[in-house]
Amino acid sequence: MELKKTPFYKIHVKHGARMVPFSGFYMPVQYQSIIKEHEAVRNNAGIFDISHMGEFILEGDNVFDFLQYIMINDLKLLEVNKGQYSCMCYENGTVVDDLVYYEETTTRFRMIVNASNVDKDFKWLNDHIGDYDVKITNLSSERCRLAFQGPNSDELLQKLVDVDLSKINRFYFSHCSLKDIPIFIARTGYTGERGFEISLENNYAEKVWDHLYNTGATPAGLGARDSLRLEACYSLYGHEISDSITPLEAGLFWLVKPKEGIDYIGKKILMNQKSNGTDRILVGLNLVEKGIIRDDCKIFYSGKQIGYVTSGGYSPTLKKTIGLGLIEKQHSELNTEIQIEIRNKLVKGIIVEIPFYRNV
Amino acid sequence: MDYKFPEELKYTVTHEWISLEDEIATIGITDYAQHQLGDIVYIEMPDIGLVFERESIAGEIESVKAVGEIIMPLSGEIIETNPKIVETPELVNSSPFGEGWIMKIKISHIEETEDLLSVKEYIKVVESEET
Repeated sequence: MELKKTPFYKIHVKHGARMVPFSGFYMPVQYQSIIKEHEAVRNNAGIFDISHMGEFILEGDNVFDFLQYIMINDLKLLEVNKGQYSCMCYENGTVVDDLVYYEETTTRFRMIVNASNVDKDFKWLNDHIGDYDVKITNLSSERCRLAFQGPNSDELLQKLVDVDLSKINRFYFSHCSLKDIPIFIARTGYTGERGFEISLENNYAEKVWDHLYNTGATPAGLGARDSLRLEACYSLYGHEISDSITPLEAGLFWLVKPKEGIDYIGKKILMNQKSNGTDRILVGLNLVEKGIIRDDCKIFYSGKQIGYVTSGGYSPTLKKTIGLGLIEKQHSELNTEIQIEIRNKLVKGIIVEIPFYRNV
Repeated sequence: MDYKFPEELKYTVTHEWISLEDEIATIGITDYAQHQLGDIVYIEMPDIGLVFERESIAGEIESVKAVGEIIMPLSGEIIETNPKIVETPELVNSSPFGEGWIMKIKISHIEETEDLLSVKEYIKVVESEET
């Protein structure tokens, strides 16, 4: 399969990015330094190309009921101009995808999904439409998406847009203009920092990037995106949640809603897990000895494997290694001493409180 | 991208540099290698006194995103490791041929040095990886 390029491809190359294949796209993993890009987002603002992600419009008289049937979160908590994070699950409670949808009108929703799951999600949604009056349009390739994240993102962005950003609360959104260019802007993000996600038509891509870049924000790649989200302990599909892990195992208790009278997909197993608990649970990990925790490392307790690392790496904010692990619940208490197998050696670690960092 | 290639050094296809002085070799990773790894955050050094065969893995260099191996360019005994880069791994990024050197070995088979790459040969290796 030929790799696709986002409308920002030339800009990334111009900024010296190292481009890597990711979910079918050439994406920038870093420009100059993951740590510097990470710190820019924690201390000022960073710009991320997230155009590899999917974008759908769902329209029709039954969109609300349809999504109540597909999603595990409760759409009754939504209102027009607000978005919601959710998962759609299989009947067995494992995850098709995690995503955000935004209520533009009572009959029109915008949905942003994971890059690696665009085709699967589009099919899953369409396969379940049945008699619901819903039409789904895939806008992924005709629009592009950016994230603008950091403690100074409000102040920097306010100079460019014709809407009062202080009136947009977390998870709310607006259709407005950025220097006369129409954009969709939501106060959402994946960095554990204040910030916005923006969607726009491809033909304005370079102009909008330039405006954002000229605020003094730092271009940030997938490397920093991952280290930032790991510090904030946001789930990454294929790691903390997947088609073999349920949201409750991943610790997303708040996301599974009872939704009285609504028989949504996966409800039976998920509500059972919510009441009775799961055998496995996601925990935070640190090392007591030296080393770096990496994805897929095995986790041991008293010589017996109890789980594995779903995501591991180096935290530029804490200046030490951090990780998330899916382990047997009976060993999941805070401060439990465990061992993590790194290159065939058992290294002493400890279960710690999560998130490691969040400032939203 | 422009990388530094000091002419007086020898190189390997696995991106180590070697400075030879009689039977002692000082070893590090090249400017190209540190660029590929990105921000280096942890280095696992071999113990002093250990003897390794050529091409065996003597240690690990970890960046935020990747893990790289320190591969023995020559058979030999580890006689010194750089304590500074254990505390300050980013020296390998900022000064790969200077303060960021990794270790010194006593060469077991001096004839193996003839198989090391010249700077010209190494530049070709990097060019072929870049394309």
